[in-house]
Amino acid sequence: MIGALPLAAIPPEDEALRPEIRAFLRDAVADIPPERRARSWMGFNPEFSRKLAGRGWLGLTFPREYGGAGRGAFARYVLVEELLAAGAPVSAHWIADRQSGPLIQRFGTEAQRRFYLPRICRAEAFFCIGMSEPNTGSDLASVTTRAVREGDGWRLNGAKIWTTNAQHSHYMIALVRTGGTAADRHKGLSQIIVDLHAPGVRISPIRDLAGDAHFSEVVFEDVFLPLDALIGEEGSGWAQVNAELAFERSGPERVLSSAVLLDEWARWLREASGVGNASEAAEALLGRLLAHLAVLRAMSVAVTGRLMEGESPVVEAALVKDLGTEFEQLIPVVVADILARPGPVPPGPLMRTLAYTAAMAPSFSLRGGTREILRGMIARGMGLR
Amino acid sequence: MDSLLVRSAEELFSRHADPTAVRAIRAGGSPEVLWGELERAGFPDALVPEDAGGAGLRAAEVLPVLMAAGRFAVPLPLGETMLARAALAAAGEEVPPGAILLGEPLGGGARVPAIGAADWVLLPGDNGALLLPMAKAAEDEGAGSPFGRVLRWPGGAGRRLAVPDLFPAGAWAEVAAMAGAMERILESTVRHAGERQQFGRPVAAFQAVQQQISVMTEDVFAARMAAQLASVPDGDGVAGLNPLRVAAAKLRTGEAAVRVSAIAHAVHGAMGITEELDLHLLTERLRTGRVRFGGEAHWGGWLGRRFLAGDETETLAFVRAHLGPSAPEATA
Ligand SMILES: Cc1cc2nc3c(=O)[nH]c(=O)nc-3n(C[C@H](O)[C@H](O)[C@H](O)COP(=O)(O)OP(=O)(O)OC[C@H]3O[C@@H](n4cnc5c(N)ncnc54)[C@H](O)[C@@H]3O)c2cc1C
Repeated sequence: MIGALPLAAIPPEDEALRPEIRAFLRDAVADIPPERRARSWMGFNPEFSRKLAGRGWLGLTFPREYGGAGRGAFARYVLVEELLAAGAPVSAHWIADRQSGPLIQRFGTEAQRRFYLPRICRAEAFFCIGMSEPNTGSDLASVTTRAVREGDGWRLNGAKIWTTNAQHSHYMIALVRTGGTAADRHKGLSQIIVDLHAPGVRISPIRDLAGDAHFSEVVFEDVFLPLDALIGEEGSGWAQVNAELAFERSGPERVLSSAVLLDEWARWLREASGVGNASEAAEALLGRLLAHLAVLRAMSVAVTGRLMEGESPVVEAALVKDLGTEFEQLIPVVVADILARPGPVPPGPLMRTLAYTAAMAPSFSLRGGTREILRGMIARGMGLR
Repeated sequence: MDSLLVRSAEELFSRHADPTAVRAIRAGGSPEVLWGELERAGFPDALVPEDAGGAGLRAAEVLPVLMAAGRFAVPLPLGETMLARAALAAAGEEVPPGAILLGEPLGGGARVPAIGAADWVLLPGDNGALLLPMAKAAEDEGAGSPFGRVLRWPGGAGRRLAVPDLFPAGAWAEVAAMAGAMERILESTVRHAGERQQFGRPVAAFQAVQQQISVMTEDVFAARMAAQLASVPDGDGVAGLNPLRVAAAKLRTGEAAVRVSAIAHAVHGAMGITEELDLHLLTERLRTGRVRFGGEAHWGGWLGRRFLAGDETETLAFVRAHLGPSAPEATA
């Protein structure tokens, strides 16, 4: 069975970062309307990422010698939860900062660290994750994109899909087959850094149901990559991918995807109704959402505490993600219902924020592993399979 | 938290609050042995200040003991007695011997749990509370239900005491007991799913069952986290309780209780509906705990109003300031 999560608190030295971040954000997002801020970590804005880099807020957890700030996971937690709560457009650097950088730091060679990490910290290298393929979704071990050793490099063929920001990124870290066949499953998989400007890479953005184009299909046709494109060990791709997942799944981004909508609604409730005049139903709903937020945040902080202790709480992270995305999906459903009551006309920006969040909400429990896959991991953690 | 304390509580309950003992008390048998053991161990005085003869512990420190009581579905008001004694001692009032229930005011009387025994009822009213002897209570048979008995006392009964409102404290005690009961329910559901065979396999092998138990696991983790959050002693209530924290926790735990009970019963099949299996002792604890001292509607409204009347306009800022995993920094 999975052990209990003890309460963990963010240390004061990391909390100390918060006022400066909040002050910065007050100006930096002031002119962005809420329906854009609602895009949260899907909001792409390289200029904003460069501004954060200028403050030293990219690669906060990377060692100083590689351009980072040498801070811990809690410092990044504070930064990220403020960015997300404010609806700052963090997507450009998001994957590099959260996932690719730490992966390179952990599994990369010294040369790879020296090359990529400082660029990530300066917002000069944006990354995307190439896991999914047209025929590979939840069953990730079935990838068929293949890198074959050839002379002093690799020849890459295949296709990735749903790759967030591929069309804007400099690099992709792709999970590919370097040995064996699909039947070998976890064996023979490796991670490889693809320079997306290399000849033979074709990127076609895919429009989503809200009209944005944040993800792409990426086709590789005889793309030649140098030997040092391999990251980590050949054949260790599966283990490396899984090492990232606890970080990917338990962060504030699994709780705060609908935060802009929640705050817009709460603000309107306060302003439109005046203190003491909100409907009882609205008050009770607000209280309910606050209670969920408080508990989820405490759980997410507790998992971060485990990570800080060097553990790999993969099952606990899956649990936080599943509950967190359920909360994120609940918000547009219940806010739409309460706003459907007769009463004062809600402002356009609030309604547009609602419309965007409600339309995209189903994606919250797909990206990063579906609800069913996460529940399967929890069941395994509970000894049921 | 002192794991020694929890271990001794677990040991005490295993010995004196096994299902047979619990069932006997529920059926109206004497709780003397169990209560006597609890007194001997000093648990009811755990929250009483040291200079008044107690252990001087705070909410977070006794939470595991109350969760253990919940795991055993102990039908005695251990948490409530702890809270009442602490409040009485802090107010300089004399602490009466025996178990004290916190009553919910109801039409001039008090609603108390339908099951279990106590010596006193502490009933909030204007200017403090009344300490009423259980022995002198008359039961309003018509108003009673499994959710609670309604008791009334003759005019002039009881002693008026200057203690603060213990309604949120009572809610906290329910949160602790429910979080513990849910842990036990999860354990027994996992065990049952592994043992019960259908279609030639344990039912745990079916993905539909696995997914349901995963959902249940999530709610049990959330309830436990809610109980821990509610026990951070940064309030000025008895034992350091903070009503905002209790509000959030009671609401979240109540929601969890509904899902956890439903899934547990589904997985246990018909066997779970029997009197014989202990499951219903625990799921009943959840049903009554959920509605005692305010349910989701009550606390949701209360918390929503506090937010709307407060200084923080963003939900995360409110949560950080009042419902964080630790006491907020003095400077924040
Ligand atoms: C907004 C967005 C951004 C994304 N960004 C990226 C990205 O940057 N990089 C990337 O690699 N991928 C990305 N993805 C893809 C994402 O990882 C996949 O959507 C996800 O892994 C699920 O795969 P699928 O969509 O093919 O669904 P499928 O795997 O086809 O699943 C369909 C349904 O079947 C269920 N199912 C599948 N297998 C099982 C099973 N064994 N047991 C029970 N149920 C099962 C699923 O839970 C789901 O309900 C993104 C997706 C979205 C929506």
